[in-house]
Amino acid sequence: MKDNNYIIHIENIYKFFHNITALKNVSLNIKPQEKVVIIGPSGSGKSTLLRTINRLEKIDKGRIIVDGQDITDKKCDINKIRMEVGMVFQNFNLFPHKTVLQNITMAPIKLKKIPPKEAEEIAYSLLKKVGIEDKANVYPAQLSGGQQQRVAIARALAMKPKVMLFDEPTSALDPEMIGEVLDVMINLAREGMTMVVVTHEMGFAREVADRVVFMDGGEILEQGTPEHFFTSPEHPRTKKFLSQIL
Amino acid sequence: MDKEKELKIDVTDGAAIPTKKDKGLFTAWWCTLIGALVLLFYLITFYADPYLRILKFVSDGIVVTFKVTFASIFFSLIVGLITGLGRISKNRVINLIASVYVEVIRGIPLLVQLFYIYYALGSFFTVPPFVAAITAMTVCYGAYMGEVFRAGIESIDHGQTEAARSLGFNGRQTMFYVIIPQAMRTILPPVGNEFIALLKDTSLVSILAVGDLLRRGREFATETFAYFETYTMVALIYLLITLILSKIVSISEEKMRPYER
Repeated sequence: MKDNNYIIHIENIYKFFHNITALKNVSLNIKPQEKVVIIGPSGSGKSTLLRTINRLEKIDKGRIIVDGQDITDKKCDINKIRMEVGMVFQNFNLFPHKTVLQNITMAPIKLKKIPPKEAEEIAYSLLKKVGIEDKANVYPAQLSGGQQQRVAIARALAMKPKVMLFDEPTSALDPEMIGEVLDVMINLAREGMTMVVVTHEMGFAREVADRVVFMDGGEILEQGTPEHFFTSPEHPRTKKFLSQIL
Repeated sequence: MDKEKELKIDVTDGAAIPTKKDKGLFTAWWCTLIGALVLLFYLITFYADPYLRILKFVSDGIVVTFKVTFASIFFSLIVGLITGLGRISKNRVINLIASVYVEVIRGIPLLVQLFYIYYALGSFFTVPPFVAAITAMTVCYGAYMGEVFRAGIESIDHGQTEAARSLGFNGRQTMFYVIIPQAMRTILPPVGNEFIALLKDTSLVSILAVGDLLRRGREFATETFAYFETYTMVALIYLLITLILSKIVSISEEKMRPYER
């Protein structure tokens, strides 16, 4: 019953890397249209947690339900789930052998069997949305980092996902390019996309997040609204972290 | 962006593939080509007997050499791709089979493999020499190509796999739509090298009664006792073919990288 209210339901998960516990009894529920920002020091497990949601990381214990499907179940068709969960990476990971347009249309054409013409129309409208419709026919290497990341967002959106995962989307960018990517993400948030974002951009967290989650040592130590989080954090480690970065 | 991470596979048993950096007229490639051509034309015009006669006599052997080469390349690319995929397979049985195959083949000289397939296995069933030759070349070079394919596939950043998988592509689709097309670029120079090495190694099939370039030369030499002239001609022809092939490889290598700039 409670599962139905959440698009992502993470229940007591554990993840071990050799003898390191990367995730320790983490639970997190995310409602449709909610924007959750995960912050924490490096090595805190925040990226690992994000990557468990589309099973790029397999968990060792616990349960994850995405859009009503238990993805920790062996019978689950993970490729189906991944079509509904878009992901944006720190290093963009565009396909360098394909043009921008092909990067965006490839998955819809091959996986959803959308006619190429239609897929291209969708791609052009997405490129317009991320502000680089004039770059449709160039190769990723000819774009700046900020432009590449915006293409990566368009590529993920082309599958019409229900959830978007962002894994430090601006961390590999030169400072002057961070704004253009964040603007695209803010617009996406306004359109009502469900978003889970791992980031160090506190301004973005403050502006967009419904909920901020603080992780350290593989655990969620504190979560709450941005107001609560940035004005009256409770956990001493949250306080320490915020005092270091703000 | 990541210029420091450019990967190169070094396999150098073929021929020196000219790179774009050696520009200008007096590269080793040009010197050798012009020298070889001048010598060839000098010999066949001024010493038409026996050189032109040799050339005419062995010309059908050149065709056979090309036939063996291209057939073996074609099949060894297929065997190589399968072997390369087997070598990176997470399935332990498949992985082991592919790895043992590579180990066995790499440990046996090609000449012995040729003898084995034609004479040793020939005592159980008869294989025409031409088929035996192509089979042996394929089995041998399939293992080498497999290693090249494996290295090429492993050179592609893991982020590419993650990006494709996160879009919903399965493992096989990821391999064929995303990884292999990119790996081709890394693979091409070493495959070109194997190509040239294979062409040269086809001279070994002359021991199996396949009428290739070397065998035709040998036939001419034993008839006429013109050993010096015949083998000079044979060597020149191999050299010219190899030079031209290495140029073709280097040109196609340039053509394969439009997305880098």
